[in-house]
Amino acid sequence: MKKLLALLLAMSMLMALAACGQKDPDPAPSKDPAPAETQDPAPAGDGQSDPAPAPTEGATEITAWIYPVGGWSTEANVKPLIDAFTAETGIKVNLEWLAYADGDDKVNTAITAKSAPDLIMEGPERLVANWGASGYMVDLSDMIDDTDKAEINPAALAACTSPDGKIYQYPMFITAHCMGINLDAFKAAGADQYLDLENHTWTTENFIKAVDALYAEYGSTVGAVYCKGQGGDQGTRALINNMYGGTFANAEHTAYTWDDPKNVQALEQLKGMDGIAFDASLEGGDEIALFYQGILKMAFCWNIAQQLDPNTAGTGAGKTMNGEEIVCMNFPSEDGSAKLQGGIWGLGIFDNGDQARIDAAKQFVKYFCDSEHAAEAAKISNFFSARSAAEGTDLSTIFDDNPIMMDYNKVILPNLGDYYQVTTGWAQARTSWWNTLQKIGNGEDVAASLAAGTAEANGAA
Amino acid sequence: MKGVLNLAKQSNATMSRALQRRENISGYLFMLPSLIFFAGFVIIPMVICILTSLTDANMRDTSMLGNFIGLSNFAKLFQDKDFKQALWNTIVIVVVSVPTVCAFSLWVASAIYKLKGPVLSAFRCIFYLPVVTGSVAVVVVWKWMYNNYYGIFNYVLKGVGIIDKNINWLGDPKFALWCIILILFTTSVGQPIVLYVSALGNVDQTLVEAAQVDGATNFQVFWRVKWAQMMPTTLYILVITTINSFQCFALIQLLTSGGSNTNTVMYHIYFTAFKLTEQAGHFGYANAMGVVLALFIGALSAVQFKLAKEK
Repeated sequence: MKKLLALLLAMSMLMALAACGQKDPDPAPSKDPAPAETQDPAPAGDGQSDPAPAPTEGATEITAWIYPVGGWSTEANVKPLIDAFTAETGIKVNLEWLAYADGDDKVNTAITAKSAPDLIMEGPERLVANWGASGYMVDLSDMIDDTDKAEINPAALAACTSPDGKIYQYPMFITAHCMGINLDAFKAAGADQYLDLENHTWTTENFIKAVDALYAEYGSTVGAVYCKGQGGDQGTRALINNMYGGTFANAEHTAYTWDDPKNVQALEQLKGMDGIAFDASLEGGDEIALFYQGILKMAFCWNIAQQLDPNTAGTGAGKTMNGEEIVCMNFPSEDGSAKLQGGIWGLGIFDNGDQARIDAAKQFVKYFCDSEHAAEAAKISNFFSARSAAEGTDLSTIFDDNPIMMDYNKVILPNLGDYYQVTTGWAQARTSWWNTLQKIGNGEDVAASLAAGTAEANGAA
Repeated sequence: MKGVLNLAKQSNATMSRALQRRENISGYLFMLPSLIFFAGFVIIPMVICILTSLTDANMRDTSMLGNFIGLSNFAKLFQDKDFKQALWNTIVIVVVSVPTVCAFSLWVASAIYKLKGPVLSAFRCIFYLPVVTGSVAVVVVWKWMYNNYYGIFNYVLKGVGIIDKNINWLGDPKFALWCIILILFTTSVGQPIVLYVSALGNVDQTLVEAAQVDGATNFQVFWRVKWAQMMPTTLYILVITTINSFQCFALIQLLTSGGSNTNTVMYHIYFTAFKLTEQAGHFGYANAMGVVLALFIGALSAVQFKLAKEK
């Protein structure tokens, strides 16, 4: 009986250990761990370039979670770079890819369970405005000196900096979200006359005429204001804000302003167009698929990564499934000058309370964001580097061999607008936005719906 | 002699108590692994859920327990139009889905239970297939059929001239919830059909024959004899279908994300807990919703048990 009880107790203890065990918050340190200060790059402000990453004396294994950001969503692209990093530093990196559909859930659950990854790749709306503001991220200010500040795109660095001056994201690459059009369909409908194909711009008036011409030709929806969820909502926001010059948030990023009468005007205009449907069964990804299939003649959820590989189908750059030509366009505005929604992606480090792992993660950040390896890291992303140079390596010319990227860099990227996604209460604002669009699509009053949605978003701001 | 007998009796009683204790201990030891998991994954989370529903717990709070705020979350719930809408949608799903699933499965089971082996097995397979198929696979197929632009429903309905313009099945609040209920129906009828086929096969034939000899009609035989004997099965089906309908989540998440007026309490709990993480006290508020949902399910199940007992 005693033996049985002893066995039972031992089993209970084992099970409890298995169930409750977690990563050792302080893994056995090496014999002589280097102080954090000595591993950090040169302090900001000295104007000197940071030292090259040195093999770590601390943690030898870290975890990185990556949202599907351009070419970084493909393991075949990323693995050789990670292997090279491991070979050079001795730090093993456990990679895990997240999906936008449930990535936030996973991260939030991990934070709750105190098992957040060491590194994460995404944008400032999550890394800075959400997890950074909540105190879960490591301030990376000490990794960015004056030389870095001179090399990094100022708008990108500003977006990665919290209101109290902490840098929670090291910017890696940027893009401007635009829209795509099916040029062959436009030509068939005689709507190409409304496009400025040299500058890739059009006025709101010409956009309306083009949609009417396409609808007359095809007799069905040619563009969808998708509003099933928040996926790809940068497209609908940019379309509505640009049409008559409305805004989404104020310049200080302290309040949402979508009840702007100019947005009311844009939505009433879109609601009255036969060729445009408010579609609550589509998200951005669904819209891209329909555009790629040739069903929709324009996509509001588009960017350079899509232009290079439409619908991630691997069927050729700038072509629909049927081989029709896709052209990137700025969103229409009254005078033809658009303000585009930006995409800024980079790396952040979760503060898991283990300095050795934080230092190892910083080495990873330094390696991919501020060394000669930053060129390859940006190149595989299919986005533009967030900095002009890194440790003497010129990053401004990495796509000179790619005419599509060159063209995008010339006619789309310069129109990058305000990065307002860091406004407080962003998660609620996005939810309120697509719900508002659904209500408008269902026939509710535009001004009243916008006012209610804005009030709801500001309630969380 | 008497002393010897008393000694034997005492010895037997002692042995019997020892045996009883040993059997009890063995029984508890056999139950222990299950009890540990039941306590760890059901009882303890349930207690935590109830406790945190009385707090402003949120993701940003390092302790995750929040501050005690009494019944504020519950008071807030009934002023929250999103929750009320989700509750209403959930009730519609339950009220429509539960009787139709029970009636349809009883009808199908009545029609097939006398069929011969392979044919009966084929029908069982057909109706059970959506139950064992992964919900994501089921949803992908239905999503394609409902598609606004190239779905088969619009294609057929336009083809036969019933509609002129495509219907946005999942994007129009007039249709979306009913589309969800239809999918829920197809994935819910499999198990009740199998159970009813089994229950009908187990009905005491002597009672049926006796009723027929007494001149009972087919309806009377069914209602007075078969239905009465199937009551435990019906009760089980009612309770399980009610709980499944109340907990409708995957279909909503995969098809509409709670939009087009299809939000349910389960989805709203998930959305509040894991999406609206900037909202103050979002964990506590979501747990309060969970408690209310559990009360609704418990109350309805109790009513069903009571009615079945009276019957």
